[in-house]
Amino acid sequence: MSTKIRRIVAGVSGLAATAFLAGCAKDAPQDTWQPKGTNAKTIDDLQQPVFAIAGVIGVIVTCAVVYCIIKFRDRGQAMPEQTHGKPALEIGMTILPALILAGVGVFTFRTVFDLSKTSDTQMVVNVTGQQWWWEYDYPAQPELGITQPIITSGQMIIPVGTKVLLRETSRDVIHSYWIPALNGKRDAVPGRVHTLRLDADEPGIYAGQCTEFCGLSHANMRMETVALSKEDFAAWVANQLTNAKSPAEKTLAKEGEGVFLNQCVRCHQVNGLKKADGTPAIAAPDENVWAGAAPNLTHLMSRNTFAGAAFDLLSQKCRADVWGASSETVGKKYLAGVTEECLNQTDLRRWLRNAPAMKPMYADPAKLTSTNGKYRGMPNLGLTEDDIDKLVAYLSTLK
Amino acid sequence: MAIIERPVTTQGVEIAPPATPSRAQGGFKRPVSTTGWKSWLFTVDHKKLGIMYGVMAMFFFILGGLEAVLIRLQLAAPNGKVLSASVYNQMFTMHATTMVFLFVMPMAAAFANYFIPLQIGARDVAFPRMNAFGFWCILGAGIFINLSWFFGGAADGGWFMYAPNSGPIFSPSHGVDFWALGLQIAGIASLTGAINLIVTVLNMRAPGMSLMKMPVFTWLQLVVQFLLLFAVPVITVALFLLSFQRNFGATFFDVSAGADPLLWQHLFWIFGHPEVYILVLPSFGIISEVLPVFSKKPLFGYPFVVFSGAAIGFVGWGVWAHHMFASGLGPVSVAVFSISTMAIAIPTGVKIVNWTLTLWGGKLRFTAAMHFAIGLIVLFTIGGLSGVTHSVAPSDTQQTDTYYIVAHFHYVLFGGAVFGLFSGFYYWWPKVFGKTLNEKLGKANFWFMVIGMNMTFGPMHILGLQGQPRRMYQWTEARAGEGFFNLAFWNQIASIGSLILTLGIFLFIVNVIKTARSKERAPLDPWDARTLEWMTSSPPKEHNFDVIPTVHHLDEFFHRKYEQDPVTHEYKQIATAEEIMADQEAHADKHIHMPSPSYWPIVLAATLPVIMIGVIYSIPVAIVGGIFLVLAMFGWALEPSTAPETDFDPPASEESTKELSPLV
Repeated sequence: MSTKIRRIVAGVSGLAATAFLAGCAKDAPQDTWQPKGTNAKTIDDLQQPVFAIAGVIGVIVTCAVVYCIIKFRDRGQAMPEQTHGKPALEIGMTILPALILAGVGVFTFRTVFDLSKTSDTQMVVNVTGQQWWWEYDYPAQPELGITQPIITSGQMIIPVGTKVLLRETSRDVIHSYWIPALNGKRDAVPGRVHTLRLDADEPGIYAGQCTEFCGLSHANMRMETVALSKEDFAAWVANQLTNAKSPAEKTLAKEGEGVFLNQCVRCHQVNGLKKADGTPAIAAPDENVWAGAAPNLTHLMSRNTFAGAAFDLLSQKCRADVWGASSETVGKKYLAGVTEECLNQTDLRRWLRNAPAMKPMYADPAKLTSTNGKYRGMPNLGLTEDDIDKLVAYLSTLK
Repeated sequence: MAIIERPVTTQGVEIAPPATPSRAQGGFKRPVSTTGWKSWLFTVDHKKLGIMYGVMAMFFFILGGLEAVLIRLQLAAPNGKVLSASVYNQMFTMHATTMVFLFVMPMAAAFANYFIPLQIGARDVAFPRMNAFGFWCILGAGIFINLSWFFGGAADGGWFMYAPNSGPIFSPSHGVDFWALGLQIAGIASLTGAINLIVTVLNMRAPGMSLMKMPVFTWLQLVVQFLLLFAVPVITVALFLLSFQRNFGATFFDVSAGADPLLWQHLFWIFGHPEVYILVLPSFGIISEVLPVFSKKPLFGYPFVVFSGAAIGFVGWGVWAHHMFASGLGPVSVAVFSISTMAIAIPTGVKIVNWTLTLWGGKLRFTAAMHFAIGLIVLFTIGGLSGVTHSVAPSDTQQTDTYYIVAHFHYVLFGGAVFGLFSGFYYWWPKVFGKTLNEKLGKANFWFMVIGMNMTFGPMHILGLQGQPRRMYQWTEARAGEGFFNLAFWNQIASIGSLILTLGIFLFIVNVIKTARSKERAPLDPWDARTLEWMTSSPPKEHNFDVIPTVHHLDEFFHRKYEQDPVTHEYKQIATAEEIMADQEAHADKHIHMPSPSYWPIVLAATLPVIMIGVIYSIPVAIVGGIFLVLAMFGWALEPSTAPETDFDPPASEESTKELSPLV
C-alpha cells in the first residue's frame, strides 16, 4: 500500500473513531457499554473482548465469502474437482473455535460466580415489583443510620461506593430490575427472592427500565437508582425517617389533606397522617388493588418522578438541571426535592384527573371480574378541578 | 410403498381405469377425483400437500409481516399512537406466533413434504392420509388462533407466554385460550408430520441409497423431525397446564397455591430452544443443496455437515436455560448453560466453514437462489456471532430482553431461516410448477430484502446495547439520548427498513404472479442439478418416478450426467437430463400403485377446532366435537380401498429386495 493511501485510511479511520467516541459520550442513559459501577465494569471487561473476537470472526467470514464471489465466478472455467472435503482441515476448523470458546468459557465461569457473591454485602434493600412500579423497602440498618425501616418507590437511593444487595421479589407477575450502568438485570419473580449486587462509583441518577414483559404498561414501568455521597445519603435517610406534618389550618393544603383522607388514603399511605378524630390513617391497598400495595407518598416530593417513574415530578427545566448535574453537585440538587416552582403541575394534574388515560392500566371498574373487583393500577377517581387544586397543594407539602 | 391402492397410468404403460369404490364401511365411499377442487381437498399426494402447506404458510407470512410493519410504524417515533398498549401487546405476540408456528414451520414442512420423497426416490410418504391430516390440522390451527382477533382480542402475553402473566387474572380475554388450544392443534400436525417423515426416510429410500448417500436437505429435515418428535410433547404438556389453569381452575402457576412460575419457563424453553433449530435447520438443508449446484462442486465435507447437524440436534437439548440467565437460576446453572451454549456454536460454525469452502474453488453462477444462499451464510454468521456474545451469561444479563436480542434472532431467523426458504423458492420453483421464476425480479427481490433486513434489524443491535427493552409499546424521548447512537434516529431507520423489506416481499409476489401467467416452460434440468428430485418431469407425475432409480452415489443425478475421464481427470458430460428421462420412460414400471384420496383427513382435522371452541365456551360443544372425533377415527380405520384384492398381494421377491436400502 502506498503511503498516501495509508495516510488517507489512517485519517478516515481516525475521524470515524472520533465521531464514534463523541457519539458515545452523550448517549442514551441506559447505554450498556458505559458501566458506572464495579459489577457493570466486571461485565464490561468480560464482554468487550468477546465482542471484539466476534467482530473479527465476522469480518473474516465475510471477507472469505466476498473473495469467493469475486475469485470463483463462472468465467467458463473447467468443471472444478469434485472434492468431498479435507478431513484434516475440517477437524482443524472444529478445534479452533472450540479452543477460542474454551478460553471465553473460563473467564465467563469465573465472572458468573463473582457476580453472584453476597458475602461482601454492606447494605440491603428489598425490592418488590408490581404492575407497574417498584417498591423499595430498606430494612433497619443502624450502622447506615437507618434506624427504622424506610419505604419508598420509583427511585432507589444508595450511598456511593457501597456494595448494595437487592433482594427482589414480586407481588403479581414477573418483572425485572435493570440499571444498565450498574449491573445486568435480574428477574423479580413472585414467590421467590433473587439477589442482585449493585454499587455506583460516583453520585448520579442512573436510569433503568423493567425488562420482563409484565403486561399492559410494561413500557411505562421505569425506575432510577440515585447514588448519593455518604453525607448526602445520611441526610436523605434522616428526612425519610420523619413523618409527614399536617399543613397549617385554613390553607389550601389543609383542605387537600381532607381530600386525601377521603380518597387517596384508601391505597396510599402517608406516615403520620391522622384522621379527623386524631387516629392514624392507615391505607388498605390490599382491599382495593390486586397486588395489595400502592406507593407510600410520605416523601413524594423528595423523589423527582411519579407513577412508576413514568412521569417527571420536576418541570423540564428543573429536571435538566438535576439530571445534567455533575457528580459533585447532583446530590445537593437531588436532595432539594421538588420545590413549588419546579413542580411539573401539568403531568401531576393530568394524572389526578384521569390516571388510566395517561398510563394504560386495568382500572375500569366495569372490567374487574377476573380480579374480584380489585384494580391493577390507579383508577380515575372523578376528582373535581377544585379537589385537584387542593390535592396538588397538599402533595407539595410531602417533602 | 406403504398404502398401495390405486393403479395409475403413465406414458408407455397400459392404461387401467381406477376401480370404482363400492364398499363403504367407513361411512363414505372413497373419493377418486384427480382434477378439480376435490382433488385438492381430499388429496393424499405429498406434492399437492406440499403446495398447500406452502400457500398457507405464505398467507400467514404476509399476515405476520403486516403485523410487523404495524409494530415498526408504532415505534418509528417516540410515544407512538398507531396502536394502543393492549393492541400492541397482542400484535407482537401474534407476530411471533404467526411467524414461528404458521409460517416458518409449515413452510419448512412444505419443502419437506414435497422434496423428501423425491430426493430419496420414493413415490409418496409412508402414511399419506396422515400427511393430509397434518396439513388440515395446521391450517385449522392457524385459522383458530387468529379467530381470537374477532372474539375479544388475541393473546397478549408474548409468544413465550410467561406465567403468571398468562393466567386468567392478568390476561382476562380469551386470546391466550385460543393461542394455547390452537397451538395444541398445530402440535398434532407437527407430531404426525414428524413420525410420517421419519418412517418415510428410514424405510422408503431408493435401492442403494444408504444414509450417507442421502441428500443433505433430507438429512437435516430428518434431524428436524426428530427434534419435533421430542420437543412438541414438552410444549403440549406446558399448554395443557396453561389451559387447565385458565379454563378449569387449576393452579399449576399460581404462586399463592405454592407454584413456582419458573416451571413454565423451563417447560417452554425445553421446547423453545430445539424449536429454534427446527426453524433454521430446514433452511440449512436447502442452501446445502443450492450452494453445491451453483458452485458445480459437491458439498464440502458432507459427513461433517451431516454430523454437525445431528450434533446440533443433540446439544440443542442442553442449552434451554440460556433464555433464563436473568431469571434467577443461581450461578451453577447459569455457568453450566453458558458453557453448553458456547459448545453449540461449534457445530454451527462447522456448517458456515463448510458452505464457504463449498464456494471455494468452485464455478459460481449467481442465480437468485444462489444470492439468497450466500446471503444466508453472511447474515446467519452475524446472528450466530451475536448469539455467542449472549452465551457469555454476564454479558447476556445486560442484553437479554433488549432489542439486541431482537436483532440477534432476526438475523438468525430472517437472515437464516427465511433467506434459506427464499433460496428454496427460486431453486425448486421450476420443479414444482414447471416454470422458472424471473431471475431479474428475483435478484431485485434479494437486494430489497437484504438491504431492508439489514436496515431493520441492524440498528436493533445499537438500540439494544443502548438499553431499549423489547416488548414496549412506546419508547420515550427522555431515555433516547443524544449523539450518533440516539434511539430516535435508529428506531426511525429500522422502521424505514421494514418498509423496504416489505417492498422486497412484494416483488416476490409480483414475480410469482408474473411467472404463473407466463407460458414459458422451464427446462427439465434448469440448474444442472445433482440430486434425484431433478431426475423426473417438472412438475413430477403423481407417482414421481416412472422407475424407481437405483442409487450408486451421493449426488446420483450428477454422476449419471457426468463421468470423470480416468486419464485427464476432467469431467465429461455423458448424458443430458432429457436422455435420462427418456430412458426412464422407456423402462417405466408396468404397474404402479398409488394411494387413493380420502375424505377422512379433513373430516378428522375439522373436529379439533370444534372441541377447542367447546373447551373455551361450552363443554357440551366439546363433547359433541369429541364424539365426531371418535367417529371419524373409526371411519378412517375402516375406510375401504378402491383397488382390487389382487393388488394387495405381497410384493414379488425381486421387488422386496429393493424395498429396503442398507442404512450405511
